[in-house]
Amino acid sequence: MRIEHKRARLVFHIRDLKLEWAIEPRYWRNPLLAVAGLALLPLVIMSKPDYLTLLTTANIYAAVAIPLAWQMAGIGRMNFGPQFFVGIGGFAAALLSIHLGWNPWQTLGIVILLGLAFGLILSPLTTIAKGLYFSLITLILPLIFLEFTYVYTDIFKGETGLSGIVPLVNLGRIRTNYLVSCYFSLGMTLLSLYIVDKVLRSRIGLYAAAINDDEEVAETCGLNINGWKILCFTITSMMIAVTGWFAAHYYGTFAGITYLQLPFMVKILLIVMIGGRGELYGSIVGAYFVAFLEQALTILGPVNYIVFPFVLLVMLSTLREGLYGLYRRHKYREYYPTMRVRKR
Amino acid sequence: MLLKIENLTKNFGGLVAVHEVSLSIEEGEIVGLIGPNGAGKTTLMNLISGYYKCNAGKIEFDGVDITGAKPHKICHLGLGRTFQIPRPFQDLTALANVGVGVLCGKHRPHMSYGDGLLDASHCLEFVGLFGKRNTLARDLTLYELRALELARALATTPKLIMIDEVMAGLNPGEASRAINLVRRMIEEYHITIFWIEHVMKVIMEATERVIVLHYGEKIASGPPREIVHDPKIIEAYLGEKIA
Repeated sequence: MRIEHKRARLVFHIRDLKLEWAIEPRYWRNPLLAVAGLALLPLVIMSKPDYLTLLTTANIYAAVAIPLAWQMAGIGRMNFGPQFFVGIGGFAAALLSIHLGWNPWQTLGIVILLGLAFGLILSPLTTIAKGLYFSLITLILPLIFLEFTYVYTDIFKGETGLSGIVPLVNLGRIRTNYLVSCYFSLGMTLLSLYIVDKVLRSRIGLYAAAINDDEEVAETCGLNINGWKILCFTITSMMIAVTGWFAAHYYGTFAGITYLQLPFMVKILLIVMIGGRGELYGSIVGAYFVAFLEQALTILGPVNYIVFPFVLLVMLSTLREGLYGLYRRHKYREYYPTMRVRKR
Repeated sequence: MLLKIENLTKNFGGLVAVHEVSLSIEEGEIVGLIGPNGAGKTTLMNLISGYYKCNAGKIEFDGVDITGAKPHKICHLGLGRTFQIPRPFQDLTALANVGVGVLCGKHRPHMSYGDGLLDASHCLEFVGLFGKRNTLARDLTLYELRALELARALATTPKLIMIDEVMAGLNPGEASRAINLVRRMIEEYHITIFWIEHVMKVIMEATERVIVLHYGEKIASGPPREIVHDPKIIEAYLGEKIA
């Protein structure tokens, strides 16, 4: 391997591969400002633990929505059941932690392996099932998993869920635990964002865009679409499973009824669509917006259950490119991702 | 022999779209493929490019048996194609469209993503679309889309390009620009061309040999001047009475 510095880029030569890494600081300005803003937010509201929990929840939503945005572009299909992998990660972490007493770092390894394994097992769906059929299958998967948790109540504890999971952070003081967990969730989300952003800015992003647009033409251009779809589905599934791991160790309990049901999935899909329709940074904007809106509308009482979806529906129909599109509207883009359930 | 097809047959249920077609194309040749509507021209192209699987027969490209091979593997061997109705990646810019061809086509060592896009810009310059490199494909005109299809096919570094009715829907001015473009492609890149076309004038001027399909069968093959005077061809195109 040979590394050289060329035109504000690090160029890596590995055998006959050539990879470039942009290091010009001007590309970092806006992301750094956004990260600084997100990092300061928990400090501003640290006196209110319920707000810190709200931030953590928003980060969990974003951590599911970010890999999902990559997945839906990379396989060219709408996945209506990302929470299946949240369930895999959460239940695996909970069972290992409760029955074997494993700490979060030990369970993380197994969750990663399980996420990859289940992703790989289900990945042929991306090549077999097209359009609406894929969406329907992925919609049913978490519901089957939920039924499974009810049938095997002695293992998954049905509606009550598993409790007594080893906490992620235990520093003695409750407020400190909340703050550190909040930063932990933010770190997980930002790491996920950084990885997916780097991937999508590389040639893999171009492959994903081509597959999302017209996979038959992409294959005629020489792209091994099945290989890339399987790879994309497997990796993103693993990333979503890690979110389940975090949720299990953060809340100390994990129940299928919270994560495997349709409302959680609808929320995630709305975050992807309202945030920016496949725009990665939009996932964070959407996650924070939806989490805060849900909390803010609770002051309305029971009417909240009508107002919350109504506001989201209005936004869905009026903001063509989502909330992030308001910022990106006038900027040059190479790719306008389209998220839709295809007919074929 | 660059492309060799032996007794290729394709059925869609009870309909025989291509029936025992055999043909061969030498390196550097410009071969035309003509036939009335529904003769099976595009089906033949789809069979060669791996889009459809044949029911019987054999396809060899550059000495390699590509019968039933995946389209991306056929592309890597050096067989490019364009589509009758342009199928660009609508949500991508012209540059990114051609970039897909460069980066996914034949494996080129030491080519980074940036190098790939630079190479794509050369292809766009060749077809006269450099000024439109940052325009989304969905905003291009029909002629520009045809040029983009050619640039994308060229970007995969093919030995043979199958062009499917590049003139369809173009006005006379655009059509002559398109013919010049294909000619320049042959001159500068020394690519073999297999050209499906309805416009006989183009076939007469540009090709060295013409193959005629009718109801999925090959009914004639030869120089264009001889083909147009063949009574069988006139009958196929205009009917028995006129022939």
